[in-house]
Amino acid sequence: MPPPPRPAPDLYPTPPPPEPSVYDWQHDEGFRPGPAQPQPAEVRLGDQWAPIVVDTPVQQFDPRPPTGLSYRPDTICDGWSTDMLDLRLASVRGYQHRYDGRPREDDAAAAWDRDSGTVLFAVADGVSDARQPHIGSQLACRTAVDEMSAQVRAGHCGVTDWTKVLSMVHWQLRAQAGRLLGRPQEAEVEETADLLATTLVAGAATPTAEGVAVGLLWVGDSGIWQIKHDHLYPMKGGKQAGADGLVSSAVRPLPYVPAEPGRFDFVLEPGTTLLVGTDGFGDPVGDGRGPVGRLFATRLREPVPPLGFAHLLDFSRETFDDDRTLVALWPRTPGMGGRR
Amino acid sequence: MMESNRGHLLPIYVLADESGSMSANIDDLNDGLRSLHQALLGEPMAAAKVRFSVLGFSDDVVERVRLVDLRSAGEFPRLTTRGMTSYRAAFEDLITRIPADVGSLKAEGYQVHRPAVFFFSDGLPNRGEDWQDAHRRLTDRSVTLGAPNIIACGIVEADAQTINAVATQPEFGFIVNEGVDVGAAIAKFCASLTKSVIASGRSLASSSPQLVVDKPEGFTVAIDVI
Repeated sequence: MPPPPRPAPDLYPTPPPPEPSVYDWQHDEGFRPGPAQPQPAEVRLGDQWAPIVVDTPVQQFDPRPPTGLSYRPDTICDGWSTDMLDLRLASVRGYQHRYDGRPREDDAAAAWDRDSGTVLFAVADGVSDARQPHIGSQLACRTAVDEMSAQVRAGHCGVTDWTKVLSMVHWQLRAQAGRLLGRPQEAEVEETADLLATTLVAGAATPTAEGVAVGLLWVGDSGIWQIKHDHLYPMKGGKQAGADGLVSSAVRPLPYVPAEPGRFDFVLEPGTTLLVGTDGFGDPVGDGRGPVGRLFATRLREPVPPLGFAHLLDFSRETFDDDRTLVALWPRTPGMGGRR
Repeated sequence: MMESNRGHLLPIYVLADESGSMSANIDDLNDGLRSLHQALLGEPMAAAKVRFSVLGFSDDVVERVRLVDLRSAGEFPRLTTRGMTSYRAAFEDLITRIPADVGSLKAEGYQVHRPAVFFFSDGLPNRGEDWQDAHRRLTDRSVTLGAPNIIACGIVEADAQTINAVATQPEFGFIVNEGVDVGAAIAKFCASLTKSVIASGRSLASSSPQLVVDKPEGFTVAIDVI
């Protein structure tokens, strides 16, 4: 049985409502925004990424662009994992340098030797009184890591000649100073210090049957800390108060090579975190028992995303406005993806 | 337990001669200090690292301001002229004041850098007064906790040799050049002092902190004119 007849369709059907159009900046008058879609609760990135405040914050301001001929980013961060170690690295421009429009004078570098599994790293703090401290710190870090890498590749084990590491940094700084001065030969030590003076901590972490063997070398007041049992402890380096209890940051930086640079070897135990940083981190951390020490001890028990690591390092606390640079290492159980 | 590293501070003392012979210049000095205050309000991060004291001396010492955070300070009390010129009283005061201030700041949990004293005087100390022994004890780091760096500024007819002896380093002693307008010279020294305070506050965070003292316009380093 045929279906009953239906009304005829409209001769001039009502057109469907127009689709929301794609915005065309050249035809702004014809733009039809679609109906408002339900939005998740608003997340303000400005709030989410505001500096972590400890006690009284540094006064808020908009950072000035750094002066200088070459590009120098405000912040760098990095992070990766080997079979035996997780590494995080960050270097952030200090609040005073952001305020003054000066470049970040700290720097850091890291590398990995595939055959031995050795992780190599360096942090450096260019001395503000030098004329190009950011070049000095960058050159010191990269030279130290390159030389340590070469030694590890040559011997398939850890760094064997720390004196040579310092020597290479010393001569690279002098050669660079010579280039900056437009000379065909290396600059004198005093001239180099005037241009490129920098502190340095360089280190190598080599997996062994006994655990991760760490070797460290330092010149100046950058330091080494460890997080263990939920506490952050200074291990080596850093600033020392004078006999009268007054603090002084006076330092004999590279290219001056001390007769006995700081050296330290130890085995990094499972469940601990190794921290290597400049005084911009070391000063606010102090003996590790204050709120900054507790902040890092709590947040860095385990590896964090590299961006989160840099954000943590950029905390705000009044009078602590120097550049900050930090490398963190966490030992892992063997095998990629293995748990700590 | 009190935290041991709430921040790093530099105590700065302005030690100003209020003796009667300063009457022609005291207003210039007050104006200079007011400009210093205003300039530091525009440098909040440098100001945060400084605690400022203003002391007037003549026969004794009158504390005008003590360890103030300039960001929250109101108007400075004005220096006023009175009495004679006892350098000994001034230095004896600092011998007890500075260790107490350093101890007080450390007890509040701050790390303290070596204090700086900016010394203004228009003339010679009281005749026959032995101020050198007090000065030696004040600046002997094995005797006085926080023995300060002293930057000495001689104005009007100050004796260059005396100003140089008060300064703890030859480059820290300054004398107004002959023929220079004293009011303008004090204003310039205060501007230089401002730069110094700001730069010193900043250099605390660097790896090479030092008291930054630029030679002010219209002044000669005292050792040059002896």
